[in-house]
Amino acid sequence: MTARERAGALWRRLTWTWDPASEHESGDAIVRNLWLHWFPAKVARQSASWNYSLWLGAASAILFLILNVTGLLLMFFYVPSTEHAYGSMKDLDYAVTLGWLLRNQHRWAAHAMVAVVFLHMARVFFTGAYRGQRAWNWLVGLALLLATLLASFTGYLLPWDQLAFWAVTVGTNIAREAPLIGEWIRFVLLGGSEIGQNALLRFYVLHIFFLPAIIWILFAYHMWRVRRDGGLAAVEPIRQARSVQPKATPATKSYSLFGLTRGTSVVVRSSTELEEQDEVFASPNLTRRLALVFLIVFNLTLLWSLLANAPLEEAANPAVTPNPAKAPWYFLWLQELVASTTIPIGGLRISGGLIGGIVVPGILLLVAAIWPWLDGSPAGNEGVWFPRRRLRQNLVFTLVFAIIIALILMDIFLRGPYWHLYWPGTSWPAMPRTL
Amino acid sequence: MKATRRWFLGAVGKGSVALAFVVQLAAAARAFLPNVLYEPLKRFKLKQPDQYPQGYTFDADRRLFVVRDQERFHVISAVCTHLGCTVQWRQDEFACPCHGSRFSTDGTVIAGPAPRPLPWYEVSLSPDGFLEVDSAQEVARGFSFTPPRAKA
Repeated sequence: MTARERAGALWRRLTWTWDPASEHESGDAIVRNLWLHWFPAKVARQSASWNYSLWLGAASAILFLILNVTGLLLMFFYVPSTEHAYGSMKDLDYAVTLGWLLRNQHRWAAHAMVAVVFLHMARVFFTGAYRGQRAWNWLVGLALLLATLLASFTGYLLPWDQLAFWAVTVGTNIAREAPLIGEWIRFVLLGGSEIGQNALLRFYVLHIFFLPAIIWILFAYHMWRVRRDGGLAAVEPIRQARSVQPKATPATKSYSLFGLTRGTSVVVRSSTELEEQDEVFASPNLTRRLALVFLIVFNLTLLWSLLANAPLEEAANPAVTPNPAKAPWYFLWLQELVASTTIPIGGLRISGGLIGGIVVPGILLLVAAIWPWLDGSPAGNEGVWFPRRRLRQNLVFTLVFAIIIALILMDIFLRGPYWHLYWPGTSWPAMPRTL
Repeated sequence: MKATRRWFLGAVGKGSVALAFVVQLAAAARAFLPNVLYEPLKRFKLKQPDQYPQGYTFDADRRLFVVRDQERFHVISAVCTHLGCTVQWRQDEFACPCHGSRFSTDGTVIAGPAPRPLPWYEVSLSPDGFLEVDSAQEVARGFSFTPPRAKA
């Protein structure tokens, strides 16, 4: 083989045709390609549909990819020290060529990821896609949601501005409210009893390594489960229409192409229940759409970053709390909860930090986690949006979602200095930002 | 399975290697509890008593209020007992910007989510004539300290 031929073979292995001429070429693109081999060779038409999934899961994964790349680049310009962190932000905004764009895109992609992950969760709920054997993947999804929120939290601490400092203060004081081990948790999180260099460094390492690593691992597992569970729940109505019960996995260890043709490989398990007209080749039907979603998501975050600058408050100042001090929008409902759930019992007052900061979110998370087993709606309504027979379940979810959104909107628009309620139209008193 | 000598010695061998592994993990985790803290001391000096005006004076570095009433002094923490934001003095009450807690002039909770009153700290006079506060030492509300008149 000449060097030219060898280069050609390598090129073919790393790329693929977006317009395969034959089914053979289609299948080959998936199985032999480094980037695509984790896709199934064929997917159900419904799984790839725009209307069913809205591609929200894919969009959140793409946002996470954007966050990884922009984040890695930001690491060249950021110093995780209480003395230099804020200066790094100013450098990015004013001294580094297009540094502002990098920072904007990282911040806005993070906000978008939190939003899209919540919407993805709503989609999975409204289509009943967490039922039956998919319950386990619902739990993995909840873990991903938590990891996403923690990644955002640790992320906006790093600029070491007023938002960061007071978020660490409030966040670790909520942790302190945990019974018995609270003080200890706070001590470990901060690496001391006061907020300083240790705390920044700990949150930095969590943000740039541990949380992304956890998200990547869970993401891979999430995807693997989707395939194990026979694709998106959108295939369930087709399965029922074909009235084929899922077959037990044939006893085989073969993951090979031979197993694929014999129908004895685990991958084949679900697709054997679907018929040929239900499925399309992943290449190009999935790959093209994925590329399109990538371009749309990337360009939207880019556009957003061109139109609005990432927030940056004054440098961290332990003496002065901004008035009002508001968390980013996705934590505002929790801020409202901690501010309003202190309960007096006799002479004792149980802090809102414990009730609204730990107990209520804990209960919400627990209920969400066991919901697949609480859900008593009749089976056979999976993979369809808002089926009539799941009206009650969907109403409960909508109500909780609506309350959270209402609290967020209320805190954005109506909470003013000293956390007072100011109705729209009334003006807030001017508050000095510094002493 | 028969508990032979060979099995026993094998189990002890593998078990001790596994134990060493676990202990090493625990040892690595222990490093995250710092043994030395480079933090401000809990006991510190403020200014000389004469440098404080009558009423409430905010000390930004120490996050507390020095209250002077004629020649009597007391010190109230400015850290909200709810989730730790810095409260502000508003002529007749303390108010917290984060979650809306309000405290009366002596630190009693009037409104909002704060679970406890603002703590008062022990005040004394250092040998070289400065007010000295021990923020590890809470005192009852109503505490006051009158610095002895310096000999002219």
